[in-house]
Amino acid sequence: MALVQQTQLQTGGSGARDSARRITGSPVLRTVGRRLLAAIPVLIGVTFLTFTIMSALPNTTAQAILGLNASPGAVAALNHTLGLDQPFLVRYWHWLVNVLHGNLGTSIQGQSVNHELALHVPTTLGLLLYALVVSVVLAIIVATLAARKPNGIADRISLAVSMLGLSIAPYAFAFLLIIVFAVKLGWFPVLSGPVTGPASFFKNLTLPAAAIGFGLFAIYTRILRADMVEQMQREDYIVTAKAKGVAPWRVLIRHALRNSMFTLITVIGLNLGGLVGAAAIIETIFQVQGIGNDLLTGISNHDVPLVEGITLFFALVTVFGSLFADIAYAVLDPRIRYGSSTS
Amino acid sequence: MVAPLPDITLASPHPPPLPSLVNARRLRTQRLGRALRLWVPVGVLILILAICFLLPLVVTLPSATSGNIIYNNEPPFSPGHLLGTDVQGVDIVSQLVYGGQVAFEVGISVTVIGIAIGGTLGVIAAYFGGWVDAVISRVFDILIAFPALVLALVIAEGLGPSEMHVIWALAVFGIPAVGRVARGATLTIRGLPFMTAARLAGTRRWRIIARHVVPNIFPSIVTFSLLGLGIIIILEGALDFLGYGIPRPTPSWGNMISNGQQILSVQPEYVLIPSIALLITVAALNMLGDALRERWGAQ
Repeated sequence: MALVQQTQLQTGGSGARDSARRITGSPVLRTVGRRLLAAIPVLIGVTFLTFTIMSALPNTTAQAILGLNASPGAVAALNHTLGLDQPFLVRYWHWLVNVLHGNLGTSIQGQSVNHELALHVPTTLGLLLYALVVSVVLAIIVATLAARKPNGIADRISLAVSMLGLSIAPYAFAFLLIIVFAVKLGWFPVLSGPVTGPASFFKNLTLPAAAIGFGLFAIYTRILRADMVEQMQREDYIVTAKAKGVAPWRVLIRHALRNSMFTLITVIGLNLGGLVGAAAIIETIFQVQGIGNDLLTGISNHDVPLVEGITLFFALVTVFGSLFADIAYAVLDPRIRYGSSTS
Repeated sequence: MVAPLPDITLASPHPPPLPSLVNARRLRTQRLGRALRLWVPVGVLILILAICFLLPLVVTLPSATSGNIIYNNEPPFSPGHLLGTDVQGVDIVSQLVYGGQVAFEVGISVTVIGIAIGGTLGVIAAYFGGWVDAVISRVFDILIAFPALVLALVIAEGLGPSEMHVIWALAVFGIPAVGRVARGATLTIRGLPFMTAARLAGTRRWRIIARHVVPNIFPSIVTFSLLGLGIIIILEGALDFLGYGIPRPTPSWGNMISNGQQILSVQPEYVLIPSIALLITVAALNMLGDALRERWGAQ
């Protein structure tokens, strides 16, 4: 709140003289700008840390390219050509400069990392979005039903199911899904094939998305339900709405749910980074051709550029997730509305 | 012996009912429910810990690392093997018991490291503020944005898998998480009157932190750590499962799931049994965390 007041004072001081000034002076944009600036050291830190620990691994790149029978001289020569004999900080600097030019380097397999990411990022993003959207929609429905009557039958069932989702390991749940839906019922394939269209998307990614989404659903349901119950008991506008004779369902959905969505948006934004681990493990189990799977291959091959590219991508998702949460909160919640210049 | 009370007729044979707002029976069920929500998970956890750490001292269990291939794939309740044996003929109960030891050793070590380092840094950041806070918070941001799994896998890849490496790798995940909670909790109490009073009374900083800050943020840290412990046990299983965790043949729940994966369609029980052990343990930890939050949150 102090920050909001401060930005308000600043915009009041500078004044909105013309439209360009108004846009640059917009507190929301300023917040975005400040957060983007703050994200830069985080991104550099993450990639530097990854570079450090990946470089601590034995350097097998030249050996891997030339084969096991290569002479030490040839290995040394290739290391020199690839720049791998240079000091660690110089290599990181080269990598960073290349990234700023949009080039993520070449993986051990000789493919461009940009190409690799362009090939596999859509699958992973599709999988994560599928899991995210379904779990959010289900969580909203279940939490609303539960919050209608706290300690009622729907509430108790939702609490039990979300406790289950919170406690089950995603990989264990994945195997349960495979046993039931792939082996016993045969509805879905055990291993996911390539995604070519909407039909194969649902056929191949439904089980992996369910394995990732159940835990998310549990977290979202718990948070949304707790927030809605608290609002229904505490907030003045709920009492006002009830006193006006607004129907209970309408109070619940138009007032409590609408306001609780802000909490949910924050949690979704902050949790995006945690999806990385889930994606890596679940993609391995189902053999989904995504970047989570690539990450594990990259680590076992000591493939520095590939692992760096994927880590950078996930760090970006994490940073923008929390930025998105902050901004959505500031833009959507009328209680934190800034001065008149909010466009 | 007892003299008849003179005013006995004045007392109503039926005491007036309690005000309807306080329903005595409902109050009793609520209290019972609260007690059960706390003590059932405590009981389950004590039972699991006793099975994992005390049972091997009392009963001689079959080896958890090697078995007789002649007795492989024994069904549950076979003589000498309560839950049967796996493909290699190794007793499943022994694997569960020793795997549970590993899970708790890793989970508790990571939690303790997280509280000791992360908690200290979080309190310092919030209490001193300024550039100290800026630096520490930025480090936490980096560690949180950094996929812990990558670090854990790289450590295992470079140094070779071992229990110690798993603990340190997961601690990187635990330290910033606890640190943020500690920082947030300290910030909320920092401006409260008793803190100002302590400062005005001339109490030294470290004494304020030890005597006023730590006891007040302790409940949030403990409830968070219980939830975190469950997540760490799940992550430890994930590392084992990917082949980067506890080195074989040391039994662990993740290794058991990974072994069972190969014959999943024929004998799903090899995956299901350790999964259920994992589920019960983590659920008990989560429920205990919830119950403690309910108690301490109400204060």
